[in-house]
Amino acid sequence: MATGADTQASPIAEAPSPAPKESRGWLWSLLIGLLILGLISTVPLLGDASALHTWTLIVMFIVLAQSWNFIGGFAGYAAFGNVAFFGIGAYTTGLMLLAHHPFWSGLVLGALVAGLFAFLLGLPVLRLKGHYFAIATLGIAEALGEFTTVRNIGGGGGGLMSLPLPGLDSYVYFFYAFMGLAVICLLVTVWLTRSRFGYALVAIRESERAAEALGIATYRYKVIAFVMSALPTAIAGGLYAYWSTGFDPSTVFDVGISVEMVLLCFLGGAGTILGPIVGAVAFELASFQLQTSGLNLHNTLLGLAIAIVTIFLPQGVIRVAQEFVSRPGAGSGRANSFMEGMRRVRRFIAANGI
Amino acid sequence: MSDALSQPTESSPSPGAAREDGAPLLQLVNVTRRFGGLIAVDNLSFSLRKGEILGVIGPNGAGKSTMVDLIAGAGSPTAGKIIYQGRDISRLPPNRRAHLGIARTFQTTLPFTGLDVRENVMVGAFFGQRGLNRAGALRIADEVLERVNLRHKATFKGDQLTVADRKRLEMARALATNPRLLLLDEVMAGLTQSEVMQAVELIRQINSTGVTVLVIEHVVRAIMSVSNRVLVLHHGRKIAEDEPGQVLSDPKVIEAYLGERYARRRSQPDNSAAAARNDDAEQR
Repeated sequence: MATGADTQASPIAEAPSPAPKESRGWLWSLLIGLLILGLISTVPLLGDASALHTWTLIVMFIVLAQSWNFIGGFAGYAAFGNVAFFGIGAYTTGLMLLAHHPFWSGLVLGALVAGLFAFLLGLPVLRLKGHYFAIATLGIAEALGEFTTVRNIGGGGGGLMSLPLPGLDSYVYFFYAFMGLAVICLLVTVWLTRSRFGYALVAIRESERAAEALGIATYRYKVIAFVMSALPTAIAGGLYAYWSTGFDPSTVFDVGISVEMVLLCFLGGAGTILGPIVGAVAFELASFQLQTSGLNLHNTLLGLAIAIVTIFLPQGVIRVAQEFVSRPGAGSGRANSFMEGMRRVRRFIAANGI
Repeated sequence: MSDALSQPTESSPSPGAAREDGAPLLQLVNVTRRFGGLIAVDNLSFSLRKGEILGVIGPNGAGKSTMVDLIAGAGSPTAGKIIYQGRDISRLPPNRRAHLGIARTFQTTLPFTGLDVRENVMVGAFFGQRGLNRAGALRIADEVLERVNLRHKATFKGDQLTVADRKRLEMARALATNPRLLLLDEVMAGLTQSEVMQAVELIRQINSTGVTVLVIEHVVRAIMSVSNRVLVLHHGRKIAEDEPGQVLSDPKVIEAYLGERYARRRSQPDNSAAAARNDDAEQR
């Protein structure tokens, strides 16, 4: 109907008029993500053992935030018990090592057990919505930690597990193992923003009713996303287990880790490619700085920072940055487009913050 | 149109529609839906023929949206059967019904706000139709956006649209699933007169491609001009089912809409039908 005039003009007008170009944002995000991870990969070259220790943990938190992003950021289900998968990975790997099985088999088995657990847990809890889902997952993680303690799974009393030392120069390998996991998670995230599967998750997040009305088997997709977020978390748990050589349920089933996964994602931008990476690096760096600076205020300051960010930037840092760089007005100079970007960011914060 | 009114000119909104002998695409058989003590849909039966446009009107709370929910699978009937293409679908989940060719819009629009307009429509294509890759879904999205006249806003986010465009997006997303039966839940509510006319035109155009349409509307005039038949619901019950002109002169309908006193006072039984005819004339 709208094309009536065109079609009369020439038969070729049937062909679609120049379509608005698809955004290449995902490509830029991928490149920037790889660049950030690439830069972090140079840390072992410094030969500084304490820096390596810090950055190993930071990369681990990148992985945890990235994998939480699958269920929490994309599907929009606030899973507050994902530390359960971390703990399962750690204990499975630990038990396998104690039974003199190779390390890698422990990692694989840990991932399988955690994946199966996520599947079985997901079947009932993913029928729940909103707060109920969050509370149910939180409860399960707590229960699992308690169970490990009471049944003394680690064998050292109260669930404590002590593993043999992995070898002197192995810390570099652990670092790169975490890094490899982070790269894989980055690629999976990019795939999610482009694929049919990813669109299903986003549709579920935005409106589950509309999603199912369009033919999306929402329940199935949610369960798969939950399992997907469990796998890398469990492998990270397994790596952490051997890396730290000694741990107990209160470390690897710590609810604080669950909260941190959520926090890092929202800080950087939940459901984005770069959000978990940027959030994890920024937050964990600040956290380590404050811990080593001798101030006993670091938790207070970080809490305050979180409150400020959630009040002013509830969409995360990355979305604001995207707003800044997205499509500057035509024919404007560099200075002009900077001002335009700033204006747009101010508008964005005004619209989404308080 | 009613016998009295039939100016035989263009009274049939679209060619090939409303054949009396058309096989029923959808049948509701004694469908009831209760919410606790409230009966939203009460023993409702009707059938929808292939290729027709059926209008459903009724005062607020008449059970119109609940009926759409029941057909689309957002809820199951407390009693009764919903038969689609000869098959009982009363217990099928909504996604399965979507795959069978039932698409719907929502009265309160539910755009995927994190996605842009084109991606919104792509989701419809991706999941309503089988075996599409990204490029295929994109192509369908662009075609549909062109049809609903939303192509120029393809890169807008779902929450940056006006009411009219949000309604268009709802329709575009549903159309992208390539439906056989399209359920339109108040897609004209809140639109200006000219936007209503565009929407009416669009519904006719969709119907002319062979899609059976069920239109729920509050804007009575618009629905009269577009429907082959009109069904009137009141308190969840069917109180009339007829051609548009006939329905408006039905005392029961007038009573439901305007109250008993008005119905008794009315001297000229064809008043409102005449109004509908005038609207028809305006729109052409």
